[in-house]
Amino acid sequence: MSGTRAPVLSVAEAAREIVAALDRAERAAVVTIVSGPSSEPLGRRLLVTLGSAIGHLGIPELEERAQELARECLETGERELHPVTVGGDVWELYVESHVPRPDLIIVGAGHIAQPLCRIAAMIGFRVTVLDDRQEFARDERFPEAARVIVMNPDDPFRAVPVGADTYIVLVTRAHKYDYDCLRHLLNAGLRPAYVGMIGSRRRVRAVFEALLRDGIDPGQLETLRAPIGLDIGAETPQEIAVSIAGELIQHRRGGSGAMLAEREDLLGRVKRKQERGHHGRS
Amino acid sequence: MDDRDLYLALLETARRLQPLALATVVRVKGSTPRRVGSKMLIDGEGRAVGTIGGGCGEAEVLEAAQEVMRSGTPRVVRVDLTEDALSWSPAICGGVMDVFVEPVHASDAGGEPRGPRGRSSRSGRSGRGSDRAAAG
Repeated sequence: MSGTRAPVLSVAEAAREIVAALDRAERAAVVTIVSGPSSEPLGRRLLVTLGSAIGHLGIPELEERAQELARECLETGERELHPVTVGGDVWELYVESHVPRPDLIIVGAGHIAQPLCRIAAMIGFRVTVLDDRQEFARDERFPEAARVIVMNPDDPFRAVPVGADTYIVLVTRAHKYDYDCLRHLLNAGLRPAYVGMIGSRRRVRAVFEALLRDGIDPGQLETLRAPIGLDIGAETPQEIAVSIAGELIQHRRGGSGAMLAEREDLLGRVKRKQERGHHGRS
Repeated sequence: MDDRDLYLALLETARRLQPLALATVVRVKGSTPRRVGSKMLIDGEGRAVGTIGGGCGEAEVLEAAQEVMRSGTPRVVRVDLTEDALSWSPAICGGVMDVFVEPVHASDAGGEPRGPRGRSSRSGRSGRGSDRAAAG
């Protein structure tokens, strides 16, 4: 791990260390010299993780600044080019953060969970599938999952830590189980990034009524996405998985979920502009 | 494909001793198709993994990658997509992006830093990502 004496940290060595850090659920920051007065140091890089720094840039003043930038970047998660002046020369340092994949916990290993697990892995989630039924919670049914776990319905999240960057999708076989999981999350005071629950209008309403009757603070329910998913008219389990995946992306990246064509109305704008041009000439 | 997937592809390809170049978008101005940090891995035959532009401006980078593999010297390639705005390219692009293209030395991926290469070091590395990659 300590490669500080190695002359240069290569791309492949850095790649390996970054993957290892991400798999330990740790952040990593890399600072690379991308331009400067001489070509020789280009591509030299410094890799900083929580507990270590490897590689070096070979120019002490640059190195000092790079260390600072890397530490900042570990906090902010940014990716940016920074010009640094050393003795009249301008160098450009590219600073890049690597943040572990967010966790997606799918509760209920049924017909929606299977396509959802596949899509979610594809769009950058580390997927965990939970079910209390051993015959459903099987690795071979979820080849793209990082973990498939047989859960104890009395304590569903015991084996899976729920953090501020965890996404939870409740798609169990019956609303009673969704309700139990939700109650467990709320009572444990867990604050995941996202919680969505599947269900018809009637059933979701019944869950809300029951939770409020139990004395759950309504403010706690406001962030719950139920019924889960974007409105794309999904019918099959695969289509519903796409609708849920769309909402996961929308939540993570901050989109509105609206149709771009409708929102931008570029045709309307072009038409109005042309009409104005017409009037201007006549 | 995220960076982790791309790095796994990089390590896998480099292990087969093939020449490679890594292209990273380091600066964007205007409306570019991909963001800073987008990456593309290019091999000696011009095949690519990942994307830095969804087709836009990639030809210039592919060309630069071959040159970088030959010379061994990294460089920044400026890709101007504003001229493409009215062409019938498959993706609508605009803006300018700077792409850092650097060589990936095949021998780099053979083992642990400073460690021996070959089977023993491969088995020594299991438990640190390579096995997790297979599971994930």
